[in-house]
Amino acid sequence: MSSLNLNEDQQDCLQEIINVAMGQASDQLARYLDTFVYLKVPSIEQVSAQSLSMTLNPSEQAVAVVSQGFFGYEGIRGEALLMYQPKDSDRLADLLGYEPDELSVEEQIIDLSSILTTTFLNVFASQIDNQMSYSAPRLLASSKTSVSQHVEQQAFNWDLALKVKITYQVTDYSFNCDMILLIPESAIINIKTVIDRILEEY
Amino acid sequence: MAVIDFCATISDKLNTGVLVVDLNFEIVEWNRFLQVHANKAPKEVIGQSIFAIFPELPQKWFARKLSSVVQLRTQNFCSWEQRHHLFELPHTRQITTDSHFMAQNCTFLPIESDEGQVTHICILIEDATDVCHYQTKLGKTLEELALANRIDGLTQIFNRKHWEECLDKEFSRARRYDHELALIMFDLDHFKLINDNYGHQCGDLVLIKISELVQSLLRHCDLFGRYGGEEFAIILPETDLVGAKDVAMRIRQAIDETVIKFHNENIRISASVGVTTIDAKDKRYEDMINNADVALYRAKDAGRNMVCTANELEECFS
Repeated sequence: MSSLNLNEDQQDCLQEIINVAMGQASDQLARYLDTFVYLKVPSIEQVSAQSLSMTLNPSEQAVAVVSQGFFGYEGIRGEALLMYQPKDSDRLADLLGYEPDELSVEEQIIDLSSILTTTFLNVFASQIDNQMSYSAPRLLASSKTSVSQHVEQQAFNWDLALKVKITYQVTDYSFNCDMILLIPESAIINIKTVIDRILEEY
Repeated sequence: MAVIDFCATISDKLNTGVLVVDLNFEIVEWNRFLQVHANKAPKEVIGQSIFAIFPELPQKWFARKLSSVVQLRTQNFCSWEQRHHLFELPHTRQITTDSHFMAQNCTFLPIESDEGQVTHICILIEDATDVCHYQTKLGKTLEELALANRIDGLTQIFNRKHWEECLDKEFSRARRYDHELALIMFDLDHFKLINDNYGHQCGDLVLIKISELVQSLLRHCDLFGRYGGEEFAIILPETDLVGAKDVAMRIRQAIDETVIKFHNENIRISASVGVTTIDAKDKRYEDMINNADVALYRAKDAGRNMVCTANELEECFS
């Protein structure tokens, strides 16, 4: 087992922190968006740089991917990818509380991504006594081919990353999207340090 | 010695607009960047509604955007890529760029009281005019490159690579929906003699003029390309053998009748034409090219300046 792998206790602890953060985030989002937001139990796994494009979307056809970097104290940093399916974008403006002609579909997707990412990560950060800053969200790609092309064309400077995938469901708007947090190997050690400290305090 | 207020000093030296509003959209902070670019002193704007100072702001959108910052206590963004600018400010490259207002990246930050309540919103306004300008230029260049990649430099019709990609697509489509598809290939007769007798400039002129002539005889949906040297190819979607033969005969006749002036010479040329339509036996689009090519060489063998079909009848027409 590589030193980058989380052991069972660490994995459980991270899962628990994420569960609590998801609960609070979905509550905040529900109040802001005025509809129920379900967050499905996350999957946590290690991915290699080579397998990233495969693991991102094996079967589904993502049409849009928005990336946003996050960084906090103690070297906790990573990148959040929000992935959308074709049918999901129809009623976004409505969901966000904008008039459809006030903003383009791209802007709606980016706006929602930023809200979902920062709301979740803010709560997550407060769970581990941290505080996050964010880079501006960017639309990486807006079609299936360009998504995988984009990922495949990157010369990554990391070999392994910790991948946390959370699915958001807004049933009133029959809307789904996946949030994928990728934490590069240099930051995994830092996450483990934080988790170990929390485990000790129990 | 007076204590320096670093934050205020730096805020006034930043090349970024720093604007703070309270929850009633009243301006409470206004740094030098804004003073200079909006040409308004702090005393003119402090206490005023942001909508009075910037009437161009989309009011409902802006209010909703800020409400996400207040309610979710999180930052929000607005990029020039989706919204060129929020605030109508002039930029610093007015001579060398063509945009009217400063392209902006805006960040909305919640400012919380000690009790954790958001009391103000800080708006950072970054000048993205340079990025916007170069990105736009890059986009235009990529478009030009993509076009150049499809076009034959001499004749300005599709080059072989792009033409074959089109045939590949049309072939799959016709197969999938069981539609008609026809292919015409033609070759200019004794073209080498024109190069030998009048020089390559004359040969080039003939290729250009014949391409223009044939293009003018085609429908908008037909795809015309230069297959190689003096060989040309036309994809005719939704066209049966009768229709394709009709087009082929008109092309043969038009080329035969045309006279190209080169210096004081009247140049005449003819073409041999092969026609085929999609057949159940064709497995790949290359099979259609092959069939049209066979018909074309039959037209050559039959004495040139003729149209031959590759289908069962294998007729020739002059």
